[in-house]
Amino acid sequence: MKTSGPIDLALGLLDHQLVDSDNRRCGKVDDLEIEGLDTASPRLAAIIVGAPAWRGRGRVGRLAARLAGGRSTRVPWSEVEEIASDVQLRKPAGELRLDAAEERARRFIARLPGAER
Amino acid sequence: MKRILSVALGILAAIGGFVDIGDIVFNVQAGSMFGYQLLWVVVIGVGGIMTYAEMCGRVAAVSERAVFDAVRERLGFGVGLVALVAGQFVNLMTLTAEIGGIALVLQLLSALPYRVLLVLAAVVLLLVLWLMSFQWIERVFGYCGLALLVFAVAAIKLQPDWGRVARGFVPSGGSGDLAVYLYFVVGLIGAAMVPYEVYFYSSGAVEERWTPKDLGTNRANVLIGYSLGGILSCALMICAGALLLPNGITAELLGTVALVAEVPLGQIGLLLALIGTLFAVSGAAIDSAFSGGYNVAQFFGWEWGRYRKNAGAPRFTIAWFVMLTVAFVIVMTGVDPILVTELSVIFSVVALPLTYIPILLVANDRAYMGRYANGRLSNVLGIFYLVVVLVIAAAAIPLLVLSNMGQG
Repeated sequence: MKTSGPIDLALGLLDHQLVDSDNRRCGKVDDLEIEGLDTASPRLAAIIVGAPAWRGRGRVGRLAARLAGGRSTRVPWSEVEEIASDVQLRKPAGELRLDAAEERARRFIARLPGAER
Repeated sequence: MKRILSVALGILAAIGGFVDIGDIVFNVQAGSMFGYQLLWVVVIGVGGIMTYAEMCGRVAAVSERAVFDAVRERLGFGVGLVALVAGQFVNLMTLTAEIGGIALVLQLLSALPYRVLLVLAAVVLLLVLWLMSFQWIERVFGYCGLALLVFAVAAIKLQPDWGRVARGFVPSGGSGDLAVYLYFVVGLIGAAMVPYEVYFYSSGAVEERWTPKDLGTNRANVLIGYSLGGILSCALMICAGALLLPNGITAELLGTVALVAEVPLGQIGLLLALIGTLFAVSGAAIDSAFSGGYNVAQFFGWEWGRYRKNAGAPRFTIAWFVMLTVAFVIVMTGVDPILVTELSVIFSVVALPLTYIPILLVANDRAYMGRYANGRLSNVLGIFYLVVVLVIAAAAIPLLVLSNMGQG
């Protein structure tokens, strides 16, 4: 994983845009999974994407998570290619199971005339 | 030619974003009630939108972030979501007002029933949003909106007392009811700085895939586009001050606005005024509908952008479609579009700080912006306008009540 230097997780990673290997936007960094917080060297394990992850984001987040429902997806940290203006992933969104809602919406729109305009 | 076309985003942002129904209503009403006394407020409003539009365009060109990317990153999920809900609420009100405005203009042109024209307006907007490319939307609605320049010609033809016009650019306490005067100060600044202008402008810059090479275009867009918008706003107020105030006409109808071009310029003036208003208000409707899609997609990280085609950014497409549908349903209930316009401007003032604070923060962040971060001028102006926005946001609702919506 490439960065231009050390990053501040709260400011430089959380809530940032995820982009897959086809350069398509596929969610935000909704939460982070950190392992070994009780050890001397905690480690960033994964990015969590999806509504249930908002539960950890304050009162408004809890309410929004409850209203939105759905499932969250865990993207292992090893799938991150680079942190630039976006967080770039190594694989297409489909392989990382980040495209379910987008795909449902796409199938709906694709049936309409002029969908490819 | 390419250079002329490249300022199209600025022209559309200015004509369709700046001179929209809110601007027309507030400027003409202010002129009909206070003459030229409020011209200085237009200058302040134009300076504000220039400052923040330039920042948004620069942030988009350098860091590829549009407004709600910055909102989410800087305000976090919770406060960001509050900003999103507020922004979408104002967008929806604006879009409702603009659809009503389109139907009112069409009514003056055709004399068909209002509700039939609302349906027509919504269908045409839907087809434009669904089928037209971003570049053609900019060109058609930006350049046809330039017909509004007829108001500048009308203002000169009406031969106002230029000495008194000039004095209007000097801030004053104003004569008459103070609460009403201050209500118009807030309304004029609000109409100039409505938040969807920066939502649309920053997202448009990403649509056009700006890079730091386009920063010159950004500056030209902002300077030319918003100066033009400011001149048009002043022209509307001068026309109203020269024609409506002496005759004791208050401008509560869109027809009155067209009248101020007809009296000095005749039928051709009337026609140009109506066509210009039609395209400007339609442009604003398009801007605010797309802004509805941009904001929600940027906040949740969905694919977005007209350049992706309808099926290529499906949730963005659904978002603007829902926005358009809800606005259409609201306006079909028969609410007065002019009333919705005034309320949308006043409420947008309340939503402004949550839009501008994250932009100012990101534009100052060297990790994102490198050597393109805000210079001293941008920061002095940015902080000045943030204070202005906070003051008018706090004053907006009390003044709405105290002035009885500017009726005194």
